[in-house]
This record gives sequence, C-alpha cells and structure tokens, in this order.
Amino acid sequence: MRARRENLFHLIEPLLPHVEHPARYLDHEWGSVQEQKGPFHLAMVYADVYEVGQPNLAISILYNAVNAQEGMSCERCFLPWKDMASLMRERGVPLLSLEGAAPLASFDAIGFTLAHELIATNVLEALDLAGIALRSSDRDEDDPIILAGGPSAWNCEPLAPALDAVLLGDGEESIVEVCACIRDARAEGMGRKEILRRLAQVPGTYVPSLYDVVVDEGTTRWGRAVPKEGEDVPPTVLKRCVQDFAATPAVAQRIVPYMGIVQDRLSVEVLRGCARGCRFCQAGMTYRPVRERPAGQVVSCAVDGLLRSGHNEVSLTSLSTTDHSQCAQILSGMNERLAGRGVRVSIPSQRLDSFGVEMAAAVAGGKRGGLTFAPEAGSQRLRDVINKNVTEQDLENAARNAFENGWRRMKLYFMMGLPTETDEDVVGIARLSERVLEIGREVVGRGPKSGVSVSISVAVLVPKAFTPFQWQGQCRPDEVRRRQQLLLSEIRDRAIRVSYHDAGVSLVEGALSRMGRAGFELLLAAHGHGCSFDAWTSEFSLEAWEAAAADCGLDLEDVACEEFPLSAALPWDHTSPGVSKGYLQREWRRAVEGVTTPDCTRESCTGCGVCPALGVHNVIQGVRA
Amino acid sequence: MSGRRTQPTDARPQDLPTKAELARLRVEYGKDARLAFLGHLDLIGTVERCVRRSGLPFSIGNGFARRMRIQFSSALPVGASSACELFDVRLTERVAEDEALERLREAAPAALAPVRCAYVDGALPALEAWLNRATWEVELVGAPFDAAELGAGISEVARRGEIVYMRGEREKCVDVSATLVGVEQVGESALRLETRSTTAGALRPRVLLDAACAAAGLGQPEAVRVRRALQRHEAEDGRLVEPFGPFGIEGRAPLS
Repeated sequence: MRARRENLFHLIEPLLPHVEHPARYLDHEWGSVQEQKGPFHLAMVYADVYEVGQPNLAISILYNAVNAQEGMSCERCFLPWKDMASLMRERGVPLLSLEGAAPLASFDAIGFTLAHELIATNVLEALDLAGIALRSSDRDEDDPIILAGGPSAWNCEPLAPALDAVLLGDGEESIVEVCACIRDARAEGMGRKEILRRLAQVPGTYVPSLYDVVVDEGTTRWGRAVPKEGEDVPPTVLKRCVQDFAATPAVAQRIVPYMGIVQDRLSVEVLRGCARGCRFCQAGMTYRPVRERPAGQVVSCAVDGLLRSGHNEVSLTSLSTTDHSQCAQILSGMNERLAGRGVRVSIPSQRLDSFGVEMAAAVAGGKRGGLTFAPEAGSQRLRDVINKNVTEQDLENAARNAFENGWRRMKLYFMMGLPTETDEDVVGIARLSERVLEIGREVVGRGPKSGVSVSISVAVLVPKAFTPFQWQGQCRPDEVRRRQQLLLSEIRDRAIRVSYHDAGVSLVEGALSRMGRAGFELLLAAHGHGCSFDAWTSEFSLEAWEAAAADCGLDLEDVACEEFPLSAALPWDHTSPGVSKGYLQREWRRAVEGVTTPDCTRESCTGCGVCPALGVHNVIQGVRA
Repeated sequence: MSGRRTQPTDARPQDLPTKAELARLRVEYGKDARLAFLGHLDLIGTVERCVRRSGLPFSIGNGFARRMRIQFSSALPVGASSACELFDVRLTERVAEDEALERLREAAPAALAPVRCAYVDGALPALEAWLNRATWEVELVGAPFDAAELGAGISEVARRGEIVYMRGEREKCVDVSATLVGVEQVGESALRLETRSTTAGALRPRVLLDAACAAAGLGQPEAVRVRRALQRHEAEDGRLVEPFGPFGIEGRAPLS
C-alpha cells in the first residue's frame, strides 16, 4: 500500500546533531522548489550523498522540466550517509525526499539516475531504506513506479528486475511524457501491469518486465531480451533525442547548495554529444548527434545564471568543450562580461593541441595551475587502435606551448588494458611522460626551482556497451597489476608522479557493465553482504563482492574478462542509442587493424547510423577548427 | 569615491579604490531554524553568494584567488542558532543603508535574513577578534535535572578553573575563569551565559554544560538548544561596545 504523504522532517531533525555533515539533510536551499502541490509527485533520486548527487546535471534538468508542468511536482532525494541511514533504521524512519520531507514510498513515481555502474547497490539501498520492494514483481498495485535513466542505463539489465521502466536518451521531454502517462493511467484506474504496458508505448521507454531473457546458441551466456509473448512492445527500444538543443535552458542549475559539493560551480551545458569517435568511450557513442548552443546564448545564460545564483565559478560543460566551433568567441565573451567580478571560468577537458592550450590560457587569465591532457595511450599505434586522433607531434606541440605560456604542472591521463596492448605500449606511457617533462625542462630550465612536473593517472579500460570495444573482455586484474608494476619500474624521474586505478574496483565495474539480467542476483547478494557506496574508495570491499559472487556461483574475473563473439546477440541489444551494430563491428575491425576514423563534424559522415535512425543531425554553429 | 567605477567592473585592479578607501558595510543577520546546522565554512560560502546575488558593488581582493573582501564574526558551533551574526563587506561605492539591507534581504534565505546594516569605520579591527564577548541562551530539553542543579555543576567547574575535553581526536583545554563571565538562570530549564573569548580560546556552551553535568553527576538531557543572543566588544578598560557602536560609549553592564 502507498505510504501516506506527510512531512516527517521532525523525525530527521533530532538526528542531525549526531551525524556527519548535517547540512546534507537540510533542504531549503536558494532556488529549490518548496511548493510541492502536485497532485502528481515525482522524486528524483541520485543514490549517493548530497554533495555527490546535487551537482548532477541530469537531476537539475529533469527537476526543472517536471516542476514546470501544471499539476506535477518534483522533489530531490539523496542517499543518507551510513551514520544517518543506521540511525534512521534504528528509529524506523524511512527514506525521505528533501523538499517535502515526505516518505519516498508515498510518491507516484521515483526516478533514479544511473550515473555509473557502481551506483547499483546504492539504488537497492535506497529502495530498501524507503521500504519499497526491491523487485518490480513484488511491488503492490499502488506502490510508486520506479524509473531509471542515465549513462549506465545502456546496460541496465543487471538492475532491470528492480526497475519498472527505463528512459533511454535525452530525458527532458520523455520524463514529462512518462509522468503524464502514469498520472493518466492511475486516473483511469489502471492496474500496475496495465500502467507498465502503457509506459512501454512512450517512445524511448523500456519496460523490463515485458521482456523475457532468452539464452540460445546465438547469444552470450547472459542471453538477450525479447518481447514476452503477446506483449505489444518494440523488439528494440530506440533512445530519445532532443534535436533543438538550443531551445532547452542552457543553465539547468537553479538550486544553490549551502554546503560544499563536489562540483561547486554553475554549469552551462554548451553542447551535447561528441563525434570524435574514441572507441573506448560510451558517452561518445550514446550522446550523438553533436548539438552546439550558439555562443551568444552560452554567454548571456552564464552571466545571468551567475547573477541569479551568486556562484563565483562557471564551468562550460560538455563532453568536449574546446571542440565547440565558437569556443574562442564564447571565452572572449565571458571574459569581457565577467571581468572584475572575481569569477572563474573553467572548462572540464582540454583538447590535445595548441588550440586547447590557447583556450586554457583564455580561461586561466593570469593564473597557471595545472593543465590536463588525455593522450590515453602511450604509443601512436595504440592511439590509432582507440581512434584517439592525436599524434605524438600534437602532444609535444601542446606541451611546449603550455610550458611557454607559463604552466609548470602537466597532468596526463592514460588507460591500461586496451585491446592489442603490449608491454611496449605500457613502457610508451613512461617514455611519453618523460618526453613531456623534458620539453618542460627545455623551455623552463632544469634547476630544482623550475617547478616542472608531470603527473600521470592510469585507469583500467572497462569495455562498455555500445562501444566498438563491447566485445572485448576486460584485462585480468593480475595482468593489470603486472602492467602497473612495469610502468612504475620504467618511471625513473621523481618529477613524474604516477597514480592508477584499483584493479579490484575496475573488475566489479567491468562485471556490472557486461552482465545480463541474471546479474541482479549478484547485486542482491552484494547488498546482502553490506556493499554500498562502492564508488567510494574507503567503502569499497572486493572481499564482499567476491563473497557475493561466490554465493551466486559466479567468478567476477570470468564475468568481466569474458570475450563475446562479434556475431553474438548481446545482453543490451534490445535497446539502442541509434548507433548501428554494423558500425560498431566495423569500428572494432578497424581498431584491430589500427585504422582511424575521422570526426563527422569536421569531415564527411562516417555512417554511424544515428542521424537516419533518429531523424536528427549535427548542429554546428560555425566551422570546427 | 565619486568618479570611481563600481564593481562588477572591467577596471584594472590598480585603478580600483584602495582598501582604505572602500566603504565597510557591517551587516547583522540571524541564523535560525534548520540552518543552525550549517557549518561555518558553509555559512561563509552561503553569505558570499547572498552578497553576489544582491548586486551590491562588493570589492574583490588582489590576491591570487581574487576573493570577495568580506569578514565574519567567530564560528558558531554546528547546531547553535543565533540572533546576532555579523559580517563586514567592503564596497567600492556607498549604497544607502536602507537600500543595501533591502537588497541583501531579497537575496538571502529567510533563516539567514539580515536585520540591520550600517557603515562602520574602515580602521576598526577585524570582527572575529574584536567581538570577544558573547551572550548565550541555553535551553535544556528533556533533562533529568533542573537549571538550578546545573548551575551548581557550573559553579563546581568554575571553581576547578579549567575544562579539559576532546574535540575530535584532539585534546583541548579551556580556562573557565578567563572565559566564563557570568551565568543566569532563566526559568526552570534555561540558562543565560556570558562568555569571553581570549587569545587562548573560547568557551563553547555545550562544553561547559557537559563538564557541569559530569562534575555534578547529572544525566544527559535529550537535547540542548543553544542560541547566541548578543556579541559585543570588551575594551581593555572593561567597557562593552556594541557591534554598531557608538564605539566610544559604555554598553550595558555585564551579567553577574
């Protein structure tokens, strides 16, 4: 039965003196929508603590979209930290929303943002704390409809039994349609099953319970999802895409948090999508096509947003901001309008060429902190395999340019475990880092006071759904550790600092990225073993995950490192971001051959299939450099 | 300051008014309701954003980080509310006090609403060090003792002269004779404390209460509500000066 909607802040308040960071639970921030009349109520949940979830742009976008509708209200909810969760359980306080402090179980619908794979156990924890059945099939007629979306929805199968419906692609339009569908169906007195059937008719909505998983000779061990007999649902659910991106609000954040959050700044989404075609990058494949906002809109919305919010920093957010065809114009416009206000402008990633350095200089003003580049691989051969279309010369020029422009600290991102990677490529990371350091010393000088240093950060490739590497198994943890040691032994200069990802965390991420629906049992077992906040280094326990896998008769390494045949039906093939499987297979073959593919926003169409499948096209405001 | 451009401005820093030329606006505001649980750093960030939203011509320092020139009164314990928090913000141009207050009120959450503002002498010392006297209202909720019993415990603590306690993992020691000025019982379950902060430290009401309960063998109350009611400056000669002055005239007599 649906919980009663009532404000229960009085149950949380006495707990505040006893928990860390009570500001996480206060609500009432500037810009939050305090009037939550409904009558339709949605709760958007980011299943991590406030300071991690609040900066999430998707939550802000959907919050605004729903609250703008007559008769619909949207509140936020974050997962309480372990100290608070434990007190709440002890005193029988259920998970509450922020704005209305209402029990989550009282809402009409609850939407989870699946920002990454490791959030899965937190989704279960949130449902459990809310007193909502973990399995969709165990829920009562009147229970909230559980929705999900976001980057990890591209393989949502391991969580699918917990989800009533999954929204694929851009959510700002579909969330409203889905809420309206639930509201109308409830008003018509429909039962839960009928509501879910109707939701499956909303374009871009995948309803897992209407699909069976079939394992046969044409599939992997995880099988493929096919419409249940008699269900009128699409065999493949295509994502939603907002073609007129410039018509959406450039600044989604209206809420100004009280406490310091992980990205404590105003975000302006300057463009959506990226067509560079890096073969490891899931976002690059699933957010296509590329849609730029006009420079004038970016600048005026940024200035207006800063005045409205009081932030002293603005971030020009996207997958690749310096690729915006009007990037220079945007930055000069921002600098002109924001001079003297003590406002910082930041761009999240630098393009690996001299233009990237020029843009970094434009946002830095007179200041020179560190500068970050992502060559991703240590050799040209391997950079061609992953389609990172930069040359050694590009990197050297960018580094020289940066050192000449006053930067002293350089950070380089690499990946390990890439397809076809050899020891030579790993050693190449060390050599490339030394080359960058040497360039710095040539430009700045060799004395101990020159301050030139290079930090390298090495992640482990997690092959993701809908990338050309989706068939590739993950590199085995022992092999990852061996390559990490090889790299460390090759770094001889103390001015180069190395950090790398934990092989165990990557292993769990890899397993969750590749499993099918049967993976839900592993999630349940992991939750039972106390796994939560797995993305927090301090909280992650490989032992607990291994114990959970053993309970389910699984081996994490086997799951994550298994290769899939190129011809096999994959566990996520019943959903589609528009990129065709043929294109991904072609890209895989080109990767193995070391052949690169150009960027369709700079050269001609590369045939990924998104535009014809979705009836959309790239929107480039000027000419990309 | 006429003829100067106001901030936000694109003027070069060297063309802006010097610090001594800047107007110093003192603002008093409350910290109420659930926002009592904001930590000091969160509060500072929030107030700075209120000032930015208000559109007042705030001044930016010339340091590397280009921060707003703003100073705050001393940190409140997390969970304590207040009727008398203060900040001083430097403006590049004088805005009428009424208008400044109105603009700040419109830009602030209700629980941090400014109640008064006025320009003060730019040469006055920084607020945090200058406001060395505070009056606290302490309310006991669900205490297995009354305020009189607690008063006896406080007297015992005062007689001992110092409190040694743990703050996180660090041991702290506070000199009660120097920092506790007076205690007054207000009804059955409430106290009014007068404290002094010194260069060696300040006395937090909750620390005093915990020590008093321990000294008198009293149990713990269910909750303690602490509110800072007044902040003032105690001059070397013992005169009490209100935050908005008059700066040369005696304030109210201290509590006994």
